[in-house]
Order: sequence, then C-alpha cells, then structure tokens
Amino acid sequence: MTDAEPESLEELHDPSSEGLEGYNYAYLDEHTKREVRRATLKAISIPGHQVPYASRAMPLARGWGTGGIQASLSLLGPDDVFKVIDQGSDASVNAANIRRLAETTADIETTTDTTAASVIQTRHRIPEEVLTDDQILVLQVPVTDALRRVDGSDDRNRTRHAHADYSKMWVALYESVVQWGEVDIGARYPVMVEGRYLMDPSPIPRWDVPKLHDADNLFVFAAGREARIYAIPPHTDVEPLAFEDRSFRVEHFDEEACDACGSTDTFLTEVEGEDGERRFACNDTSFCEKRQRNSDCAKDDHLERSDIAWGPGTGIDPNGFVGDGGEDI
Amino acid sequence: MGYVAVSAGEDVIRRAEDLYEKTRIEGESDTVSVDQVADQFGRLTGQVMGESGLYAPRLAALAIKQAQGDAVEAAFLLRAYRSTLELWGYAEAPSTDALDVERRVSPAFKDVPGGQILGGTKDYTQRLLDFDLDGEDDPVNPIDAWDLDPEHDVDINDEEPGSLAGVVDLLREEELVADPETAAIDDHVEDGPQDTTREPLSHPAPRDAILQELSRGETGAVTALGYSALRGYGQVHPTLAEVRVGSLPLRVKHPYTGETATLPGTDVSECQGVVPAYETRDEARFAFGYGVTFGRNERKAIGMTMLDASIQLDGDAPAEDAEFVLDVVDGLDSFGFIEHLKLPHYVTFQSILDRVRSIQERDTTTDEKVDAELAEVGGDD
Amino acid sequence: MTFLDADGLTKVYGEGCSACLATTGPEYDRNRCPECDSVVACADVSFEVRDGEVLGIVGESGSGKSSVAEILALDADATAGTATIRGHGDVLDADYQRRREIRDEHLGMVHQHVHDGLNLSFTGGGNVAEKLLSAGWRHYGDIRSRVRGLFEETEVPVDRMDDSAETYSGGMQRRVQIAKAIANDPGLVVLDEPTTGLDVSVQARVLDTFRRLQREQDVATVVVSHDLSVVRLLADRVLVMRQGRIVEAGLTDRVMEDPHHEYTQTLINSII
Repeated sequence: MTDAEPESLEELHDPSSEGLEGYNYAYLDEHTKREVRRATLKAISIPGHQVPYASRAMPLARGWGTGGIQASLSLLGPDDVFKVIDQGSDASVNAANIRRLAETTADIETTTDTTAASVIQTRHRIPEEVLTDDQILVLQVPVTDALRRVDGSDDRNRTRHAHADYSKMWVALYESVVQWGEVDIGARYPVMVEGRYLMDPSPIPRWDVPKLHDADNLFVFAAGREARIYAIPPHTDVEPLAFEDRSFRVEHFDEEACDACGSTDTFLTEVEGEDGERRFACNDTSFCEKRQRNSDCAKDDHLERSDIAWGPGTGIDPNGFVGDGGEDI
Repeated sequence: MGYVAVSAGEDVIRRAEDLYEKTRIEGESDTVSVDQVADQFGRLTGQVMGESGLYAPRLAALAIKQAQGDAVEAAFLLRAYRSTLELWGYAEAPSTDALDVERRVSPAFKDVPGGQILGGTKDYTQRLLDFDLDGEDDPVNPIDAWDLDPEHDVDINDEEPGSLAGVVDLLREEELVADPETAAIDDHVEDGPQDTTREPLSHPAPRDAILQELSRGETGAVTALGYSALRGYGQVHPTLAEVRVGSLPLRVKHPYTGETATLPGTDVSECQGVVPAYETRDEARFAFGYGVTFGRNERKAIGMTMLDASIQLDGDAPAEDAEFVLDVVDGLDSFGFIEHLKLPHYVTFQSILDRVRSIQERDTTTDEKVDAELAEVGGDD
Repeated sequence: MTFLDADGLTKVYGEGCSACLATTGPEYDRNRCPECDSVVACADVSFEVRDGEVLGIVGESGSGKSSVAEILALDADATAGTATIRGHGDVLDADYQRRREIRDEHLGMVHQHVHDGLNLSFTGGGNVAEKLLSAGWRHYGDIRSRVRGLFEETEVPVDRMDDSAETYSGGMQRRVQIAKAIANDPGLVVLDEPTTGLDVSVQARVLDTFRRLQREQDVATVVVSHDLSVVRLLADRVLVMRQGRIVEAGLTDRVMEDPHHEYTQTLINSII
C-alpha cells in the first residue's frame, strides 16, 4: 500500500479481483495480530482481569463483534475450523457476515457443528454441547466491566479491581434483594473469577454462567469498542455473585419443551406465533437440529466421558443426584 | 427454523446489499462522480476526514459516494481502510504559525497583528434558499469583477500581512495565560505523543490523547458537548482568541531515503480560546483551550476548544469530565453501539423476561401473605 | 490500656517548607506559612486514647481539629506523625489494602457532612449493610438481622430500613451513620461535629443515644466539635486546639471549671 494519495482509485483496489485481495492473511496485519495474541496471553495469565489492547477499526461496526473478530482472526490459522453464532444461531445475519469475513480473508473451513469447530465466536450464548480442551470460545463483549452497573467511571472501577474492593457491587445486590426479593439481573450476571476478579461474563443468560466454572475449554472475552480482552482459562473457579442464603438461579421454563425437538434441558426462547400461540424453541439451533434427528443426543455425546457438568440439566452432583433441570445452581 | 427472528444466509445478506446499492440513484439523474463530490462537497469531505483521522480528500469523496452521503458511515469506511495501512512513521510536530491562512478572525480583539481576514464565509449572510442553484449555473469568479487596484481603493492594503503571530502569544507575553499543566505530559511525550489509534486509551488520559480523540470526535457530538458547557452545564464561556482556516504544510521523514520532506498543504481549521480562571489568589489568569481538525469545520474546532478548556477544569459538569466526554464523543463508537440494538437480543430478553415474571410471581405471593397477616392482626387496629 | 497512640500528627496543605512549623501556630496567630504560603492544618498533635475512653477535641473552625479526625479515620494522609492502634501498628504507614481493612473492620466514622458518610441513593439499611459486606458478610439473613438490630440500638425506626436514605430526616441520617460506625464492633469511633445541622432537641437525643452505646460497648472514641457542650457531655478528657496546635489538655471537668490557657478561657466564656 502506498502512503501518498494515489493517482487513481484503481491503484488502491483492482476491481477485477474477488474477495479481499490485497489484504493480509486474516485481514489484520501481523503486528496487530501479535499484539492481540499478547493481550490474550496476558488475559489468560490473570484470569478475569481486563487487559487493554489497541482495538483496530474493523470493517464491521463497533458493537457488532469487532472485538470478537479481532480475537478470532488473531487466533485462526489455516487448519482451524470456525463457527460463528449470534444469540444461539449460526444463521443470524451478523453471524453470517462475520463468518464471511473470516472465510474470505483467513481461508478457513467453517462449520455450524459445535463439536467440529476449533474456534467458536459467539454473541450472548455458550453452546449447549460441552466444549473440550482443544476448543476456544471467543465471546463478543459489549460492556467490559461488571462494576459499570454501580459506577460509570472506569478510572474508579480500575482502582476497585486493583484492591478487590467489590463492596459497592454487593450493596447493589443487597438493595436488589430488598426491593425485588431476588437479584434483578437477567443476563450479564457478574461472576468472581478465582476468588479475585469480579468479571462481566458478557450478556450470556444465567443459564450459561455455570458452564464457565471448571470448564475444559478456554474462554476469551473480547471488546472492540472498549478495547479490552479478558479470559477464563480451563479449570478456573468461576462463581456467580450471590448471598449464601439467596442462591444464584438460572432461568426457568416450567414444563415447557422445545417445539421443534422436544428438549426440556436447553435454553429456550419464546415466540408468539401468528396463531396467537406462545411456543418455546431451543435457542442453540445447531444442537436443536441434532436433537431433532436423535432425541437422545446428550450434551456430551461426542465425548468419551459422560455426565460432565455443563450447566443446568447436566453432571452428577457429589450426592449422586442428577442435576435437577437447573432451578437452583 | 422459522423461530429465529432475524435469520438469513449469506445469500440474503448479498441481496440486501444489492437492494441498498439500488437506492444509490432514486430517480433519473446521472450518477455523481467522485470528482464532483470532492470538488463540490468540500465541507463534507473535510468532516469525514476529520472524523476518520485520515487525510485523503479523494478517498473521502469515494466513501461519501459509497455511503450515500451518510457522513459517519463514510468516516467508518475510511477508518476501517486506514487501519489496514502500514504505519511508516509520524510527521514532525508542526507549528500552526506556518499555516497558509485563507481565513482568520480574532473575536477577542478589534484588531490584531496581520489583521482580521474574513476569507470566504457565509457567516454574515442571510440564510435564504438560493433557488438559482437549482439549475445548470456555474459559479462565476467574483474576483474578476473586483477593482483591486490599490490606487483606487485606499482601504485595501496591498501588502502581504507581515505577521500572523498567534493572538494567544500576545497574551502569553504578558503572562496572562496559564497553559495547561504539561509536566506529566512531557514525561509521556518523550517517545512522541500517544497514538490513540495504536495504544488503547485509559483514564485518566494525558492531554495529547484527549486532543486526538476530540479531533477525531463526531462533529455533532463535539458541538453538542461544547454547547452544553456554554448552555450552563459547566463554567466555560470562552473568548476565542483566533479561529483560523488554512493549509498546513507537514514535514515527514521519507521512509526510504530518510530525508525529511515537506508534504503539500493539509487543510485544517484551528481555534484557540481563553477562559478566565481565578484558581490562585494572586494570579488571575486565562485558561487555554485548543481545537484543530481536518478540513473546513470551524464549528468543530470551536467545540473542541471548549471541551479542551472544560476538561482541564476537572469539575462536575458533563463537559468537564474527561472520561465522560471521551467515552461518548467518538462517532464510530456511538454509531456502532446505537445501531447494534437492531441486532437480535432475544436471549438477553428471555433472561430478563424470566426475572420480571419471577419477581411478579413473588410479589403476588407476598401480597397474599401480607394480606393474610393483615387480616389476622386487623382486629388490633 | 492505651488503644490509640497518636504522635506528632501534622498536616500541611501546599508545598511546605522548612519554615512552615516554626512560623505558624497560636503564638503567631496564623496557620498560613509566610514563606511558602502553605497552610499548616495541624502540627505536632500528640495524644492517647484508652479503651472505652472518650477524648474530645474542641476548637473553632480552622483550628485543625477536623484534619486530626480525617487523619484518624484514614480519610486523609498525614504529612508527618504516627497513629498506633493496638494490635495494628502505625495505621498511617499501612498500604492501601491494609488501610481499607482497618477502616472497614476496626474503625467507625461519623461524618459532619452526610454526603461523606452515607450514599443517599441507597436505602438506610443498605448503607449499614455496606459496612458488613465490606467486612465479608455474605449471608443475607444475617445481614438483615444485624442491620435491624443496629437500627433498634440507634433508635432509627426499623420500618424505614428499606427506604432510601435521602428520605430520612437529618437526625435519622446521623443515627444511621452511628449504626454504620459501630456495625463491625470497631475499636475506635471518630465523631466529626456530630450535632452540626441538627435541631437542638434532636442534637440532645442523638448524643444521648451515642453516649449510651459508647458505654455499653466500651468503645474508644474521639469526638471533634466546635461545641463545648457536646464535648462536655461526651468526653472524659479534652484537647483544646488553636491554629493547628494543642493549647490545652486535661480532664473535661478540670478544663471547663478551671481553664489555664487564655484562649480556653475566652472559648468557655463566650459560650456561657
């Protein structure tokens, strides 16, 4: 590329070429990718701590996964298999757009099958199927700091993190229970990582929060607009913030089952049909398709081990009882 | 899956793009050329270059055409393009004394060294729609009709302005201006100013980073936040020492030869303002605010001046809080995050729906319990 | 036994110079250094507080008494001096983490300005709960019953516990501050102008409550006030401060009945 203004715009881009000819492998230049990887490594070393990095302007709008795509592109190599989901769906327009960018610039294979992917970029969900130690989940992050709920200033919040001073967040929980009888946080439920850093797990539903604890896979959280990366390495202690006598509760769906596959152990979203009927359906569309083919397909079917704890309805507790479908965790 | 509210394959995305392209011309007219945009929408290209932080008039014109006139979208295109360019180096810090001035007004003084230079401006013209523009007219050069012979017009000074020394420098000589605290910045500037496009911004931010972020700020946001201070949400009512528009030569080391070369002029708008501040008992001095941006965008340069001055006060008003101002002033950040609300949110919505229902159920149960208790103790009242 | 040993507490606002301490104080009738223009808020203030004892610090505004209170409450750094709390060493020398721990668990502060002491957007109960949560309480039921107990002890209506603190009267807000100050059974409580801004009748009731609690819990207390009657009511011993220095110290009764220093005499006469 030339720095001076070109004689003609054709010099900058050959219109006859397909895709993104002229751009570096995986879009970002190598220097930038190295920097993002360095930040990611640092984040892995200090679980839950927000590491600043120089987030580049991307050909996606900020707030649309620019952090996630920078993290993904810096991690992807030609042998990787990439999956992108947006609110549980591979088919969502934004997921398709991100997938297309990775495909055209990084020359990678893509998939919708959670178990076949090596890197999964996601917005607001952790897949229903258990992730393994050779998978990385990259979560798109709109708000990097759980403390933003109680104070808008990152300057002051950084001091709080440095001293593990989370009393203001605890008072907010106390006040919430006083007012509502329970903690009134829906998604984006704050978690303590390794008993040290309070972390915003991105707007995943509470349903997915238990999956962060002691997982086999690496979680990378990347924010483009706010230029921060943080991570939960495998087998890290992750605990949702809750009072001892007011346990953390995931979303409950009463007796509802997925209208398409009949599952009762997955995160459902409700849709008002044109006939006025309210129906529930699996939010994780790729797993729902598997269940439609084989209703016995367990969330850890692809693994040699079984009864792995992976959120509501999975795992065996020490007393020998199977998880209760996720009322209280 | 019919249940996925916004679901589409890549084909659908391509079709949506095609439809958008189709709206590029909604009528019978010819397509506008990039040259026409560059030549005829100078203010817009200036604004887009300023907000993107890339000085490239022709690319800006292309971006504006591509964005169908959406300035922030065009700045977005340019910034995304900019971030793929290799960084060769940084220009030497220029002094705006070298500005080739085409317009310069000093509201602070009736007359200043070098004089007031109005240049071309609509500032003092009635804003009436000019229906003559709706035709095939070409503007005539008015200078041809002017009688510029000094012998016939004593009021016109035929000398080149001798000195355009900065008006603020006059005040500085009298020690009337308290320049912003620079001690901390100097330490930091040893390796050159922080490049906020390469180094993440953390608060409290040094002034060089603040000025960069303001200079790339969205014009409307800079104007609105600056106005907030003037409107009463703050203390700053500056007197502008100078507003200047012109072409600034930049010097940069050639990446191959290593020799310093002067690049042809970069069009900028610059503003310097002073604000009375009586911080110490003994010294009543002016605080100083500065604004500069690419292109002809006086409004943004003035707004930036106000924000620079306000932030130094470090007070409680919105425009005085550096963190607040920098968090909201960037057009790409606000544009992206505001528009992301169009993305599906049904997971998060389901989650909060669950909370609200649960709280409502709890309320109903508690109310019943309370009602029952009240009924029991009712006799005591 | 001595609980708090303050030695040479000094606070200078400004650059400070070698002449600051030698050119200010009551004998010069100024606290601004003529050499460098710094303000000597307090200098060389030394005293001890024993277990269960109440020490009063009295003086007019600008005497430096509030600076001493801020230093003791670890809200401000001292320019010089030490404050040794039994079992914790010199708390002024402690790092941020340790200071926070001491402030959360071993100190209680009742501020003159409600905004410094309470977060008015929280409920009254939430303000007290904050102190418990800072000390690591994590059982909601336990926190509720402790807060309820503290409200009862400080005579704040328990049915107002879940109302926003900004809806409380001035007297109630002061009581909530007291509840918060004693929530973790601290070794030391610092009261800064505990009656300022309260109606006279409310003043007396707040002081009575505090005196009762102080005696029940036998907590060492430093009470700072411009109001001699407050100090007379609460304090066993009193320090009189002027221009940043202690001008007289002694048992409260002795100082009130038989003031030695001329300034103390003026102060007492002006009240009576």
